[in-house]
Amino acid sequence: MPAITLTNLTKCYDGNTEPSVDQVSLTVEDGEFMCLLGPSGCGKTTILRMIAGIEHSTSGEIAVDDLVVDSVHQSCFIPPEQRRIGFVFQNYALWPHMTVERNVDFGLRLQKVPAQERKERCLDVMSKLRILEYADRYPSQLSGGQQQRVALARMLAVNPGVLLLDEPLSNLDATLRLEMRAELRRLHQTFGTTIIFVSHDQWEAMTLANTIAVMNKGQLQQIGTPDEIYAEPSNRFVAEFIGNPKINLIKLKESNDKFINLASHILARQPESKFADVCAIRPEEIILTNTANINTLPMVIENIMPTGGSWVIELSFAEDRLFHSTQSRPKWREGDQVNAYLPTPSLHFFDHDEKRLVLSESHLDYSNLLPSSALPNKQNANQIHTNQSYAKQA
Amino acid sequence: MTTLLTAAEQKKPNLWRRARHSFAVARHEPANLIGLVLAIFFAYLILAPVLSILVDSFIVQSGDEARTHQDEGSFTFYYIVRTLYSRISEILIWQPLYNTLAIAASTVVFSMSIGVVLAWLVNRTNMAGRAWFATALIVPFMLPTWTFALAWTTIFKNRTVGGQPGWLESLGITTSNSVAYGYFPIVFILVLHYTPLVILIVGNALRRLDSQMEDSARVLGAPSRTIAFSIVLPLIRPALMSAALLIFADCIGEFAVPYILGLPVRYDTLATGLYRALDTRQNGVAAVIAAVIMIIGVITLLIDVRMMKEARRFVTVGGKGNMDRLRKLGRMRLPASGFAGAFVLIGVVLPLLTLFLSTIMILPGRFTLDNFTLDYWIGSNLDTVALRNGILLTPEFWQAAWNTIVIVGSSSMISGVLGLLVGYAVLRCSFKGVGSFLRQITFLPYLVPGIAFAAAFLSLFAVARGPIPALYGTPLILIIALVAEKMPFASRSGIAAMTQLGKEPEEAARIAGANWFSRMGKIIIPIQAGPLATGILLPFISGIKGVSLFIILAIPSTDVLTTYSLRLLDYNYDQAANAVVLMIALIAWLGTVLIQKISGTGLAQGLEN
Repeated sequence: MPAITLTNLTKCYDGNTEPSVDQVSLTVEDGEFMCLLGPSGCGKTTILRMIAGIEHSTSGEIAVDDLVVDSVHQSCFIPPEQRRIGFVFQNYALWPHMTVERNVDFGLRLQKVPAQERKERCLDVMSKLRILEYADRYPSQLSGGQQQRVALARMLAVNPGVLLLDEPLSNLDATLRLEMRAELRRLHQTFGTTIIFVSHDQWEAMTLANTIAVMNKGQLQQIGTPDEIYAEPSNRFVAEFIGNPKINLIKLKESNDKFINLASHILARQPESKFADVCAIRPEEIILTNTANINTLPMVIENIMPTGGSWVIELSFAEDRLFHSTQSRPKWREGDQVNAYLPTPSLHFFDHDEKRLVLSESHLDYSNLLPSSALPNKQNANQIHTNQSYAKQA
Repeated sequence: MTTLLTAAEQKKPNLWRRARHSFAVARHEPANLIGLVLAIFFAYLILAPVLSILVDSFIVQSGDEARTHQDEGSFTFYYIVRTLYSRISEILIWQPLYNTLAIAASTVVFSMSIGVVLAWLVNRTNMAGRAWFATALIVPFMLPTWTFALAWTTIFKNRTVGGQPGWLESLGITTSNSVAYGYFPIVFILVLHYTPLVILIVGNALRRLDSQMEDSARVLGAPSRTIAFSIVLPLIRPALMSAALLIFADCIGEFAVPYILGLPVRYDTLATGLYRALDTRQNGVAAVIAAVIMIIGVITLLIDVRMMKEARRFVTVGGKGNMDRLRKLGRMRLPASGFAGAFVLIGVVLPLLTLFLSTIMILPGRFTLDNFTLDYWIGSNLDTVALRNGILLTPEFWQAAWNTIVIVGSSSMISGVLGLLVGYAVLRCSFKGVGSFLRQITFLPYLVPGIAFAAAFLSLFAVARGPIPALYGTPLILIIALVAEKMPFASRSGIAAMTQLGKEPEEAARIAGANWFSRMGKIIIPIQAGPLATGILLPFISGIKGVSLFIILAIPSTDVLTTYSLRLLDYNYDQAANAVVLMIALIAWLGTVLIQKISGTGLAQGLEN
């Protein structure tokens, strides 16, 4: 049974012509741990607030457990206090005038749970979240991580079917972030609650969620497992948004309609109808060698940046700058000439609409190199010349 | 489940559906209802009186039928013509207008010059006794203006006016009218009163100024003088302008001081002229004068708003600077303290001491032991026509004190709660129009000086209108007028408090399943208890000191301490009047201390709001 279904959900704030959330349809299964991922202002928090009922929709429909809670077509709106959905705010919104314990048992009191049971459930959830020792403190006396655990406990105490988290880790420092990440995973396993959280941090999304919904400008870009999103980005935005260092993009030259012409070295036959505009490759997929051959591109090492256990190498390729990341200590120095091999299966192609182009292996054909004399760009010609001489030396 | 980019295109819901959905949403948001109710309430309480007085200036008033040759209630330009263009308009408006502007402008100039120097001394130098002066210099602002006026008359009063002579007079020194009454003492007193405001506002700006800006200039080798004139002064200019305009606007509406010091020599300001017109039943003329005062107020505040908008362009975020910002005064250290000390002496010690001494002296200005008595405080069976007991044993005094507490207290409480509700409605209301209407209408009384507002209230509520009976003579009209007068402050602090709180604590409570009443009772009000207490106490203090509303709207049975003391003054019971004034000052001071205790803020911050 799906826990939450959004159908063509749209939100237009007053005075904005562009919708903040644009026709988003999405199903969250029971027990799922989903992340809404996107840059700030992409509408992900708005979706979360609409699910909770703090915000209402402009059109479309929200159903929780198959019960419609917000629909313009049915003129129906169930206020948040009746939805029984948990929501943890980005800055926690703890009530400053109540102790931790009062914060946690507030919801239970409202449900008129008998005192004995209330006490038990309160203690249980507080001990699970390891905040029992702070029960009598006020929120202002707690650290950020403790406050967040209180905010979580406050929602978990009433045992909501769905838990919504708004940027749950963004207000924490690096160590706490790591700790809370583990905590959230553990929570999801212990309570089995459906969790939807919002993040602009791809790393957070990758490590926590089992499903990621990438959003941009109010529109859903792609839904999938972290692996799928990383390996098969459905469009250029997703490809660029996910991955650090960013995916390398190489603008393809306008050439004859038969082939993809990557700086005149890599050619792929175009599929029948669509034309590739941009070729992309993840930094770690680039292979650097000293030996030049027909499948390599000549590049110059501009910069080597150690990042602790791994290295990011900035390469220049004609006017393009590419990044390569590697786990092994680079054997070159800045200024060295290298040859980059871009393995065919690692290449992504996007068309003029920035959509992913699926090219079967047979479409790629390196044997049909354009002759260097056909190159329009003088600088490139020089580069190839250098490369050829370099190759001779090698 | 890899992509879900296109969903079936659904047609955009039509207007009717959307309206019904908005209604379904709004139904669950009580702020909408509160906002609407408040909007109607304030439209009647604030907008109606102001409109009513504007209309009054074009309508033949009762009793003026013969003069205008028109029926009562018909449209006329008579009052406009009479006030602005007739033979007596020089007395009715032009001279008072000139006097008012002269007083306001002089007060601004002098209080700014003194205030900026004192603010600099207190905040940026190593003047001796800096911390003590930071508090002591503010005290004159806590005292009602007419405290100073009464102290002034106690010392300088001359034979122009009957009754007990001034101290100098009885010591054989004849004071000239120009020293005893009129322009000079009025400006002198207003400068004393408003200089602390400059110290507060400018001092605050100096403190908030990011010291890194000065430090950067210093690092580049700028001497202190250059830093002061090219960095600091331009940056605090908005604060200076704002202080100047605030003082200007307040001076325009100032009533009590010119009433005490101007009337004896017929030195009228617009406020006293308005009072005189009302007192002589020239309601139409009064309406025109009130309109003129309002227009000046509106212009002043429009300038202020415009300047604040400009000022926002260079709002600076405070930072932490490590360099020593205190300027060493060297040999000037003690003279500087002497200057500040002189201000405290003239602004606090002398007036209060004078007033106190005057209440324990039988004959003014005779400093012999047998002339001192506590009879005016606690004596009984005195040798006077009325008021045969000391003030503390007089039932009327306690009645007035009780009235003050009831009237001012309840109105402060109402305005505090309303202010919080306005803040709530403004921030939560789904309809933007209602929110901004509330915001603006509650600010409107700020544009209308108290005396004009009182006149407006009188014009609307003096007679029965529709279901509302005539309220004049009841404490209710005072309470309502006070509530309306305090709304600009109350709503501003309510909006500020609710903005600072944000929506999230309440949203969190909604998600936890709380209905509106539990949200209000268990979340919003408990969190806002501190601001609410301050929001009630501050209007209470300024309400106690207020004169202009009461002098027009109160009658003897609704006497409050201020009107009681002015009445005593009219009957020449100077000692008793001054004793009452001292009691008011005492209450005001205690209240301020209480606010400080509750809000935990310093005296300076508490008052500036």
